[in-house]
Amino acid sequence: MTLELVLSSVGCALLCYTLGRYNRALTLQRWQFVLNAPERQAIESLRQRMAVDSALARQALEAAGRARETSRPPDALTVLRVALSVLEEAGADRLTRLRAMGVYSRMVRAISPLPPPSPAPFRGTELRAAASAAGVVHRLLVGTQERFRLWLLVLALGVRIVLRGGRRSADAAGREPQRPRHWKAFARGVDDFEALDACHLTAFEALVASLAAVDRGGRLRLWERIVGDAG
Amino acid sequence: MSDLQLTVALVVRLLLLVLLAGMLWRGRVRHCWAFAAYVVAVLLGNTLVSLWPERFFNPPFWMVKQGVYDALKVAIALELAWRSFRAFPGAQRTAQRVLLALLALSTLSLVWVSSPSSFETLWEWQPPVATAALWLLTATALMVVWYQVPVNGWQRAIMLGLAPYLLVFVSLLGLLERRGWAAVGELFATAETLAYLALVAFWSWAAWRRDPAPAASAGSRA
Repeated sequence: MTLELVLSSVGCALLCYTLGRYNRALTLQRWQFVLNAPERQAIESLRQRMAVDSALARQALEAAGRARETSRPPDALTVLRVALSVLEEAGADRLTRLRAMGVYSRMVRAISPLPPPSPAPFRGTELRAAASAAGVVHRLLVGTQERFRLWLLVLALGVRIVLRGGRRSADAAGREPQRPRHWKAFARGVDDFEALDACHLTAFEALVASLAAVDRGGRLRLWERIVGDAG
Repeated sequence: MSDLQLTVALVVRLLLLVLLAGMLWRGRVRHCWAFAAYVVAVLLGNTLVSLWPERFFNPPFWMVKQGVYDALKVAIALELAWRSFRAFPGAQRTAQRVLLALLALSTLSLVWVSSPSSFETLWEWQPPVATAALWLLTATALMVVWYQVPVNGWQRAIMLGLAPYLLVFVSLLGLLERRGWAAVGELFATAETLAYLALVAFWSWAAWRRDPAPAASAGSRA
């Protein structure tokens, strides 16, 4: 009887917690997005956003480098902080999208396969190690959805690694502005962020292609079923 | 039956009628047929015991009644899962596997606890069956959230009401088993009836509540 009591308590707590937080309007909104996903437009707007973020970070980094070369360390540091804030803002945007992609990946029937994560495009040691480990795990997973979610995990981890490294490098450059090591580390971080963005775009394209795989008639039928059942 | 139990049973009966009327009026019966059957069965059981206690307020009838309720509770959980996932083949496959595993585990545990006596068997089955029904609902709820499957307010209310009641029921059965009917039988009957009263009141409120209008149509751009 004790076992049944424990199981019932755990089950009841889980059910009340999950269904208590369940938001039907948000779920319907997500399905509406999935069934109306504007494929090309969404990919194009993400590509443009990534290009703008990358250009801003690069420009700020180059301006900081020029200020440093002309012996204006305070100006160089100020501009470096601007570059860091660009990365941080872009990083927050990427992490939010990765979380949403994780939710949507559970809503599609199948996902276009992605290649295994590889350390090749990255320069940072931590990021390369994470990508290598994920490459091994990728081979152990069978389903494309699980592999896709592994990709999302690696990308989110990568963004956090790059942002943490960027903050560390900027702080170190503030303490020792003459040492080129910290500036190079920051530049490597920007390179890695761009490489992560390229992978992010590939994953996004795969998800959007999977969302678009349902034909128009199928989408309408599914939506009618969803609203019919839920209404 | 004590006066309190009779009064509560009368209120429960009235609320069951309100619930049934609400389900019919708002067209909720089609969202879970097993639940409608369960409400009718409970109404019938409650009426028989209240109107003819000398014939129906006895352990054998309680066992039969409870057996029917148990079967219908499991049917409710399975129907809710089927209705939730039938439009989503990927999620449905996983749901089928998970629910099948839960049913298999529950059956094994029932075989394990059963004594040779056929009369006591149904009594011994109560806690595992209630726990199994609760876990079927929990698994459905977890998968609904994981796969972002839309369920309507009524189906959610059925699950949110039934789960706490089943927990109370299992806890009271535990108390009864430890202390015996002579010591806590009256308390068991009163507490169980009051818990059921709260449950039916919640369901009645949910049955009559208006659902928000569904979102705009999809596929306009597709």
